[in-house]
Amino acid sequence: MQYFNQTLPLAFLKADRNGEILSYSTLARDSFDLSDGNLKGIIDEESIEKLVHYSRGTGMEPVKLELNMKTKDAPLALFDVHILWDSDDCANMIFLPKDSSNEVLMNKLLELQGRLASTDFELLEKKEELEQVLIRLNHLSGPFIPLSESMCLIPLFGDITADKINVISESCLKSVFAGEYGEILFDLTAVGEVEDKGIEKFTQLIKTLNFMTGSIIKLIGIKPNLAKVLNNYKLDEWVQLDQSLKQVLSFYLDRKEQGAS
Amino acid sequence: MQYAETLASFLLEGDSAKVWEHLQKHRDLSRLEVYQNLITPAMQHIGFLWETNKITVADEHLATATCDFVLSKLAYSRDKIESGQKAMFLCLDGEQHYIGLKMVNSLFEENGWETKCFGPSLPLEYALKTAKEWKPNVIGLSVSIVYHLPKLKEYAAECAKLRHKPAVLLGGRLAGKYDLVPYCAEGTVILRDLLETKEWLQNYQAGGQQNAIF
Repeated sequence: MQYFNQTLPLAFLKADRNGEILSYSTLARDSFDLSDGNLKGIIDEESIEKLVHYSRGTGMEPVKLELNMKTKDAPLALFDVHILWDSDDCANMIFLPKDSSNEVLMNKLLELQGRLASTDFELLEKKEELEQVLIRLNHLSGPFIPLSESMCLIPLFGDITADKINVISESCLKSVFAGEYGEILFDLTAVGEVEDKGIEKFTQLIKTLNFMTGSIIKLIGIKPNLAKVLNNYKLDEWVQLDQSLKQVLSFYLDRKEQGAS
Repeated sequence: MQYAETLASFLLEGDSAKVWEHLQKHRDLSRLEVYQNLITPAMQHIGFLWETNKITVADEHLATATCDFVLSKLAYSRDKIESGQKAMFLCLDGEQHYIGLKMVNSLFEENGWETKCFGPSLPLEYALKTAKEWKPNVIGLSVSIVYHLPKLKEYAAECAKLRHKPAVLLGGRLAGKYDLVPYCAEGTVILRDLLETKEWLQNYQAGGQQNAIF
């Protein structure tokens, strides 16, 4: 093993095909413990196979390999190793330590990934929360109000969507079934937009109520936009229409007064 | 193997959307099967690509970060059952290979365990401090690089000395490759892969003599 007295800016080693080190530069001597005299002494166990199999390229081209090396400072350090074989079948190797600034970038990347991940999950959580709120909102958009033993009122609030009517239907059918109502009033005064699917569901609900109880079903407070849509569904045979709740109630109260007098 | 290569290439591209899409094609698989049959072979293939000089360590880092992200997404579930058991997981000091550990952590979580997963490189003193304060039923150690093996002995011995006697599990790439018994303490359970881990977990929960199997 020969000391190679050239001032090189990187560690240099020359080794034969068995890994015996033939010569070394100053920096190589300073970086690695060369007392073994063999490359196996300075390369991490699990990198040796890689060196053995991939240190030769095609022809005389230099080869670049990433290897884990044992240095005097660290028991495991990553190097780019550039290898060129000469005509004596010896490997000329230059060792370029992997820049640790890479590490900083990788850590930053990891941090960003972590943040993205948590944001992603927070969004997902918010979305689920929102879904719950919407269901709750739908529940509250069609309260069931018993007005008397024989009359109940279900005012609908907001847009008529299929989801909303589905949610309302369930509680509405249950409540109606539990009492004995001769008249069921739907107040549509507070309805905003109407979806076709929503109206379909609503029609189904009315028919179901009709079959179930045979009660009189009244729709109250139909606005022009709603009237146009409802017209397509031929509801006349199922429902009676009234202009306002006030009208229905005054009629009802009159009837009561008359009955009383 | 072809599956592993495809998945590995998506991971190396850092394209978490493609990875996710790929995993969604196998929705019929359990989470354990996704880990064992899809992710593990893909990550092993990435190791193989480094060994054959096709990729660099930087590529591996990107793949790991991508994999980490997808694992978090995969493990995310809103139904939290609670078993009242606690487990902590860590890689030995200096050990950066934590994907396997993360998968084990999520298996425990899936079974209702409360867990702390410290990920890569946790110095022994921190591990012991948490173990003493938090008193987990299980401590899981992971080691993948031969050079870190000597430290294992100390970790295993110190964990075995803990007063509340947690079960100490050992996994990682080396557990499947070498006989690590000489580096373990008495009672350390070596788990060579995720299937063994799952079995151990089931036995533990059934109250069986988990050590008797090994």
